[in-house]
Amino acid sequence: MDICFFAALIIYFIASVLQFVASAMKKDGLHKIARLVFLTGFALHTAYTVWRGIVAGRLPLANQFEFASGFAWAIVMLGFILYSRLKQEWVMTAAMPMAFLILSYAAFQPMQIKDIMPALRSTWFALHIGSAAFSYASFAIAAGLGVGYLAQLKKGKSPDDARMKQMDYMGYRIICLGFLLLTVVIFSGAIWAEQAWSSWWSWDPKETWALITWIFYAVYLHQRLRLKWQGKRTAWLAIIAFILVIFTFAGVNLLLPGLHSYATT
Amino acid sequence: MKKILSFIRSMTFGMILLIIVMALSLAGSLIPQQEAAMTYVNAYGSSTAMLLISLGFTDIFHTWYFYALEILLCLNLLLCSILRFPKTRKAAERLKHQAQEAEPDRPLYIGDHQKIASYLSAHHFTRTETENGAPVYTKHLAGFYGSFLTHLSILLVLLFGSLVLMTPQVTDQTVMPGEVLTLSDGTTVTCESFHIQDATGKLDYASVLTAASPDGKQKKTQEIRVNEPLRFGSYKIYQQTYGTAGRIQITNTENGAVDVQYLTDPCFLSIDQRNGIYFEALYPGYFREEDGSFTLITSTDRSYPDPVYRIQSITDGMSAAVLAFPGEEIHMGEITFTFLSPAEYPGLRIKHVAAWLYGGLYFSFGLMVAALYLCFFTVPVAVKVTEEGYVICSPKNQEGLEIALEAEKAAVHG
Repeated sequence: MDICFFAALIIYFIASVLQFVASAMKKDGLHKIARLVFLTGFALHTAYTVWRGIVAGRLPLANQFEFASGFAWAIVMLGFILYSRLKQEWVMTAAMPMAFLILSYAAFQPMQIKDIMPALRSTWFALHIGSAAFSYASFAIAAGLGVGYLAQLKKGKSPDDARMKQMDYMGYRIICLGFLLLTVVIFSGAIWAEQAWSSWWSWDPKETWALITWIFYAVYLHQRLRLKWQGKRTAWLAIIAFILVIFTFAGVNLLLPGLHSYATT
Repeated sequence: MKKILSFIRSMTFGMILLIIVMALSLAGSLIPQQEAAMTYVNAYGSSTAMLLISLGFTDIFHTWYFYALEILLCLNLLLCSILRFPKTRKAAERLKHQAQEAEPDRPLYIGDHQKIASYLSAHHFTRTETENGAPVYTKHLAGFYGSFLTHLSILLVLLFGSLVLMTPQVTDQTVMPGEVLTLSDGTTVTCESFHIQDATGKLDYASVLTAASPDGKQKKTQEIRVNEPLRFGSYKIYQQTYGTAGRIQITNTENGAVDVQYLTDPCFLSIDQRNGIYFEALYPGYFREEDGSFTLITSTDRSYPDPVYRIQSITDGMSAAVLAFPGEEIHMGEITFTFLSPAEYPGLRIKHVAAWLYGGLYFSFGLMVAALYLCFFTVPVAVKVTEEGYVICSPKNQEGLEIALEAEKAAVHG
């Protein structure tokens, strides 16, 4: 079944290239093909994830590979949900390369299925890790939209253009979703930590970086809602914030050992 | 004073505090925390290490200035929450009033208003009759309270969180299988058994404990393991660590009395204080050299494949070093010491904390998630519908509702 995973990876890449070409050439038909290709990749990715869950006998989100794969899956899922509501190609243009990049990272992680360690056998596992995958996916799409927005600005599009405004607004809305989910991640993690390690907060590097990320997005939301920051500035903030997310997800595991170190294996 | 208060409750001050907390957290995650001074000297050199230690960067989350930041943040949240509440209430009232007073800006044909009204009712809008006869439909007015409740819940999380972190009495205690621990208020905890593997042979440290109230009326038996602590009254008992202890059976051959002792720390087992054995340590394994001597293994993966006891045999005050293996016996007068196979025992963490504090913390968590949902995903809206037309009032763009109502109008007229 590993072939499904690698096939999904390659298909995400092809879909991303097709999407960029379609955007550059303004070909609606090619956009449609890109979406269909992407959907095929998503089906394979879903099949692989379900198979892995069945074989492992648990939610396949227990290590770095599985989480990265789940993270990419959540990006695609959210991308399709948003696209179905907005019918805007820039949603897929943001989601496709992000899903490909995160899944590429997963491909470099050890893939073997291992037994879940006792510390992870908890009812909080699904809520904590599941909401983390969707939270990070929201931030990934928001960062993708930020990159898209800046690229369009550079190409000469006006910030007052209706499409640009919608892109900017959607970036903010999806950050709202990610922020809410990140709050759920932190709180469910705190309750779980209290059950497992007897303390709901230990200033473990993963906890600390989750807090740093949360504060950064809180600052973003305040700047947006109160100081009316929009457009270029919030696009940059979304991109910088996503770098923090990536560090919290991968960098902390690699560079800052702590209570969450088991997530690296 | 007014200027200071105004600054403390301002968003600018809140943002400054958050950015400082973020910067300090960043430093705290990159610099190892609560290590010995020599660790910093080795890592950064003596002058940098001294600077880090003197600035408190080696235990940054417990410095006075970090606590001060938390207090200031609480103050900022308290002031902005309290001051926001009347404004929030007024805004909610104003929206209804604004809708009542507004002139319809979307015309309706005769009879269309009923279609619009039934659409709004079907979409969970609340109908309020007004003095001038035209009804106002409102939805998501609670959304006005989202921001207020979010800030209030962050304040509660900080307050309850700090109390939960600071107030519990935590003790780490090792307990041998069969042993009874008596806690300060008379509650007893009995370790019925401990095992390291589950039924399928996978690692799973678990102890069966029985907790009993001081009067013995309330009892609870539970197998505890990671993620499954025992809750008893205001106690929580966690499976924290485990260890391996030597075991020795002491038999009085004259009266037949038998006692089994666990050996963890060095101790002298004696009846008359002159004769007996002094337990020094238990080793997990050994090598037998060619000359017949033994080399004891000191570091292992916590398993004890070939256990060996190092003891001093003391007779009339004279001691001799002896190695003893499980099953061996040492006779001293009427006493026989029999060395048994080592046994595993749990290390428990016993935490005593008021249950209401946890209740408060978890309530704050729930409140904050609900408040963020209100804040981001519920936009207050009021629609005034008259026979001539309708008007939508909302603090935010209601493009979706406008399109839906216009579509209803269009449906009536084909």
